[in-house]
Amino acid sequence: MSTSFEVTRAGTAAPASHGAAPDPGDAAPPVSNRVRAARILRLAAPVIGLAVFFLVWQYGVKLFDIKKFVLPRPSDILSSINGDKSFYIRNARSTIWEAFLGFSIAFLLAMVGATLMAHSRFIERAVTPLALLVQVTPIVAYTPAIVAWQGFGLHSIVVVTSLVCFVPFLVNGVSGMRSVDPSLIELARSVDASRREVFVRLRLPSALPNLFSAARIAVGLALIGAVLGEFYAGSTSGLGYAVRVAQNRSQLRGQLWGAIYVLGFIGAAATLLVNGVERYALRWHSSQRR
Amino acid sequence: MPVSVTRAEGAAPPAADNGGADDLLVSVQGVSKTFRQRGRHVQALQRVDLDIRRGEFVSLLGPSGCGKSTLLRIIGGLHEASSGTVTVNGLSPDAARAAKQYGLVPQAPALLPWRTVAQNVRFLTGLHRGVATHPVMSDADIDALLATVGLATFTGAYPHELSGGMQQRASLVRAFALGAPILLMDEPFAALDEITRADMRYLLLDLWSRINTTVVFVTHSVTEAAILSDRVVVMASHPGRIATERAIELPRPRTPEMEDDADFHEIVRMLRSDLREHHSR
Repeated sequence: MSTSFEVTRAGTAAPASHGAAPDPGDAAPPVSNRVRAARILRLAAPVIGLAVFFLVWQYGVKLFDIKKFVLPRPSDILSSINGDKSFYIRNARSTIWEAFLGFSIAFLLAMVGATLMAHSRFIERAVTPLALLVQVTPIVAYTPAIVAWQGFGLHSIVVVTSLVCFVPFLVNGVSGMRSVDPSLIELARSVDASRREVFVRLRLPSALPNLFSAARIAVGLALIGAVLGEFYAGSTSGLGYAVRVAQNRSQLRGQLWGAIYVLGFIGAAATLLVNGVERYALRWHSSQRR
Repeated sequence: MPVSVTRAEGAAPPAADNGGADDLLVSVQGVSKTFRQRGRHVQALQRVDLDIRRGEFVSLLGPSGCGKSTLLRIIGGLHEASSGTVTVNGLSPDAARAAKQYGLVPQAPALLPWRTVAQNVRFLTGLHRGVATHPVMSDADIDALLATVGLATFTGAYPHELSGGMQQRASLVRAFALGAPILLMDEPFAALDEITRADMRYLLLDLWSRINTTVVFVTHSVTEAAILSDRVVVMASHPGRIATERAIELPRPRTPEMEDDADFHEIVRMLRSDLREHHSR
């Protein structure tokens, strides 16, 4: 226990400072050249990394004289995409639509599931092993089974896509809804807030950071699901379809790589979009501190 | 030094003049609480009796494990007593909770990270709306309180942009903003550094003097209990119980200078010896 002497001394300085003294450290320090250089490097690093990778690819293929049908150069791939824009746009559109549908359905169903699980430990315990089982079983293995069951077409593709996105949303949703500060729950109880109020005003917002983590994972998974679905579900459009068609024909090597590039681009763009929305929606969150 | 009314044990607080039973806000009678912990029964509170008058500032002082937080939570209807009765403003604790009679200040500031300071201090007012029998504080009054605690320029800030002391000041304003007749504070300053704590004590007294309300304040700091309270309830552990009570007959308003006075030192000395006496078993 502290001595009264200490406390007395500290207390003497007290009342005057109650006014409006802002915390020190809030004022922006002058930006030195070193800080500015560090900032530029931080922004430039990803660009440099990507540039080095593609330059090594471009000139490595030339240097080691790798045949075009074995591994085309990035410039060949880009010009092949450029030469058949409408083909790639059409197929990208199908794949994006499938991925978007699967992603959204998974999100909605997972939110319903997570809400039930967050309210009942029994449901949580009952459902968790099932969810994990779905997650650890390779999606590649049960895609043909889903197609055999659901038939060819969009339907099967969307089922595969939502299945693969569902578990990350579910697991993160539950842990997010449970992550509410217990003191906040107690505060809500102290004014006799209803379960609905606690859910809407405490649990849902608390789950947002986790849901955004899940969304970043699910973006990639949705593309995997959509492409995989197109492989098996007798699809006649989509980038997965383009990949499948090009798989065994060396003269379509450009198309194979073109589809891969476009898929990579879609994935990257969607991830950036999610990050942007996250940065805005979670501007209050400590992870967004800059 | 300005010497105002001394609120001794048994004397009516200055706000009320009728005295007697009408002044009784909280009545705790024969309350015991037993927790079950790994199959064993642990007696957290044993036959506790406590009356708190309207407008009184009462501290529950004791070592950890003496049940002071448990007693606070039973008064607030957050725990149920195993036996005994609690009446708050003529209601059971649960009914009082439903009528929004409590303003709770937890140990952690517990602000909503996704809400600004201005929204946070109104958060509890917005929950379970329209049941309070007492008038909630107006927007202008809440803003005035924020200014009093030095947060006027931080109303648009998010909690992570504030220091721990500033967060706890927002938490205090949130409780006062409810306009509730009784404020329950569970070691609200325990996590703060000593200098900030000293500031917060006088800030709390300042708020309390502006808004005439009753405070039950849990602390393990003798000096904190002495400078804040009208009455200190000294508790002891194993089992948790009330050891003794002391009226703090220091004049109001309390000032930091009083902490240098012989009177204050004498009070602290007595409280320490009370704690020691009941702790050495």
